[in-house]
Amino acid sequence: MSWESIIPNVLAGDAQSLAGSSPASAMDNEQFAAFYARSARSLWAYLARVSRDPSLADDLTQEAYVRFLCAHHPEDGEVAARRYLFKIATNLLRDHWRRPQSSSIDEVPEHIFAAKEPGTHSDSVAMLAPAMAQMRPRDRQLLWLAYAEGYSHHEIAQITGLASASIRLLLFRARRKMARLLRSGGEA
Amino acid sequence: MSPFTCAREREVSDLLHRGHWPQACSEELRTHVGSCRTCSDLVLVTESLQESRRQTAQLPRLEPAGAIWWRAQLRRRNAAIDQMSRPILGAQIFALAMALLVIGALAIWQAGNWSAWLADLPGVLHLGALIPSSFPENGILWIIVPVLATIALLSGIVVYIASEKQ
Repeated sequence: MSWESIIPNVLAGDAQSLAGSSPASAMDNEQFAAFYARSARSLWAYLARVSRDPSLADDLTQEAYVRFLCAHHPEDGEVAARRYLFKIATNLLRDHWRRPQSSSIDEVPEHIFAAKEPGTHSDSVAMLAPAMAQMRPRDRQLLWLAYAEGYSHHEIAQITGLASASIRLLLFRARRKMARLLRSGGEA
Repeated sequence: MSPFTCAREREVSDLLHRGHWPQACSEELRTHVGSCRTCSDLVLVTESLQESRRQTAQLPRLEPAGAIWWRAQLRRRNAAIDQMSRPILGAQIFALAMALLVIGALAIWQAGNWSAWLADLPGVLHLGALIPSSFPENGILWIIVPVLATIALLSGIVVYIASEKQ
């Protein structure tokens, strides 16, 4: 006798009733598709720029959404859902960095991005890739969340798990270093 | 005021995130940013990262939302099945423990009769027909016991593999 015949509801997609209140009850397929269309590119950009590895960003983006759908996320609207998604992605990145690597992510060359950025408009953007390469991963995370995504210190603390009080100082140091690198053409 | 902040930093930051910098701000603020290191760093880094975000966001070839939705559904179903299997596994372990307990109790209770039963076994199963007549009668037990032990061992392995496949 197979499991399918014993618990047909589970395999018919009625797992929500078994697992109690489900995240999918808050977001159906179409709602998710719309949310995905609005948020996936910015999430991918965050993962790609922080990890400096586009392939890893592909994998982690997918995994972040799958976990997002499986998890019990706050139902406070899209802003909270988006923040929760970034939190999942940040944890996935951290897990990835903690795992023993065959090659370091820092070895991924920046020209992967540079080759795909024909429309670089300003010198500072052209200098961003080498400058980002010289930042620590945590600093890249903080800078991206604060200045590319526009999150507040409190929101960054929620996403990264760092103490809210320390975000300001960490960001200030990271920003000063980044500005110095941008002005010097990416050289330390 | 903190030594590493400027009083106008928040104002500049708001303008940057609303896209109002530099067109929709006063000449006085632009002059301030030009002379304040904190604010000029903020403008430089924010503009670079925002532009990078715009460009990087055009790069990915994203997987269809439907595929991710389907994968999440599959994972949730598997999690639900695992959750349901847990009490069943517990019941199986309990049943196995009870069976072993009963067998153990029976073995202790009938401890004196085991040798007699084993001695009668070849006659009951007509195993004598399988063994050469030249073989000493007392030696039959030395064959039966390892054979039964092997069968029991193989049965255990078969049951284990079958349960793993399920």
